[in-house]
Amino acid sequence: MSPDQIRFISLIRREVNRFLKIKRQTLGAPLLETFLYISVFGAALGSRVGTLQGFDYVVFIIPGLIMMSWATNAFANTSSSLLQQKFQRSIDDQLSSPAAPHELLLGFSLGGFLRGMIVSSITFLVAVLLVDLPVEHPFFLIPSLLLVGFFFAQLGVLIGLRSEQFDDVAFYQTFIIQPLIFLGGVFYAVTLLPEPWETISHFNPVYYMISLVRFGFLGIEAVDVWLCFGALSAATAVLFSVNLRLFRRGYKLRA
Amino acid sequence: MNREYFIKYSPGRMPSESTIATAANALQVTDLVKRYATGVEALKGVSLEIQPGEFFGLLGPNGAGKSTLIHCATGLAQPTSGRIEIFGNDAIKNYKLARMGVGLAPQELNLDWFLTLEESLDYHGGYFGMPKKERRERTRELLETFSLSEKRHERTRTLSGGMKRRLILARALMHRPPLLILDEPTAGVDVELRLELWHYVQKINEEGTTILLTTHYLEEAEQLCSRIAFINQGEIVATGTNQEVAERFGVSSLEDAYLELVGRKELSRAHVELEP
Repeated sequence: MSPDQIRFISLIRREVNRFLKIKRQTLGAPLLETFLYISVFGAALGSRVGTLQGFDYVVFIIPGLIMMSWATNAFANTSSSLLQQKFQRSIDDQLSSPAAPHELLLGFSLGGFLRGMIVSSITFLVAVLLVDLPVEHPFFLIPSLLLVGFFFAQLGVLIGLRSEQFDDVAFYQTFIIQPLIFLGGVFYAVTLLPEPWETISHFNPVYYMISLVRFGFLGIEAVDVWLCFGALSAATAVLFSVNLRLFRRGYKLRA
Repeated sequence: MNREYFIKYSPGRMPSESTIATAANALQVTDLVKRYATGVEALKGVSLEIQPGEFFGLLGPNGAGKSTLIHCATGLAQPTSGRIEIFGNDAIKNYKLARMGVGLAPQELNLDWFLTLEESLDYHGGYFGMPKKERRERTRELLETFSLSEKRHERTRTLSGGMKRRLILARALMHRPPLLILDEPTAGVDVELRLELWHYVQKINEEGTTILLTTHYLEEAEQLCSRIAFINQGEIVATGTNQEVAERFGVSSLEDAYLELVGRKELSRAHVELEP
């Protein structure tokens, strides 16, 4: 391995090691949360709801839950790891190393991305064991999930960079990310909403992400999936280049 | 090693003598200005050169610009203007090579709470591109040297202040940097550890590592440094051997020179002893 490869892998290893060390909080808690949703909404309430768009209610919500796990964990990991290291100033060890801005950015991003991937993969495996979960368009689904994960990892980096205290991160998580995800239709089909809520939902970017993933799993085409995929790719690219610029400038990292 | 000492006075905006020098200096700072976003000018055109193999002391009161200078050299702060070269590599344009040459032991104990001692060193080595086998050997060697082997699997949070200090130094040395920067390495450590650290850094200096030390303890600078610079309010006000700097201020010790510098000569111990 070249020194550059060693450095890049070390940056990622550090991030992965961090969340593995506190896995009760970083993997255990989100998994428990997801299974509570599945059992409460899916199993308990689901029997009353019956079917939605031709699927058992529990099957209908699982794609959204898998996406939500990836998104929230990618976001939580990158934002809090960055903030914690800024807070301890231990990030200076990476900043004074030969690591390039893009290596630092990718190191942080991929750490959160991988945590999200682990949580959603476990959720997927358990879901497959418990219910009959179709995967209609795997070659559309996998890139969509990867994009969603990377998008939220970038969003977490951005918030982690800007934040100066843990309260700031918690604010975005609780008051912005979580409501957008819930209102994006994880637990329901937006088409069932009365107006104006259905139209309002169309302004929520997470609605399109959930639609993409639901299309990948269940084949329900609620939106123009190719258009959505393109828009999500573009949004992710924009966010990544914003972060890269901030890292190059040393924004809130280098005095 | 070229031991032609010289004394340079403020304001230090003139091109330094070193521009004539042909061989690369360990650290070459030229007209360095650092203005923070708040408008505070922490460095007002500092020029400084440290030759390979030197043990150089940077002294000055709190807020004089010592840490800012160090941070500019290691990428933790971005200079407003001026140039920094480390062994001939520009610290901005050629930062990869420049940073490979420096090990920084910062003033703050900036260890990651989540990592064990071993991991702290291992990742640091990784950032500098060291292969696994070399990292493992170097980690073992450094933990042994700093009497930290028994704690190697513990998280850094559990260490005492003195142990953290030693680990910070070990981490700075991990990638075998030819230039070691020590920012107040003995602040708040006990007498034994201070002497241990002195012995160790003297040893590696003799083995060829160039050292830049900032300290508040003037006897530390007197004991260790072959050359010093006084910095005050963002400007280098004197450079030379201890004796030369003292002579420059017309006093006999570094401490008295320092007191002259900060305008508190009434505190001089020589002065106190003369009182009836």
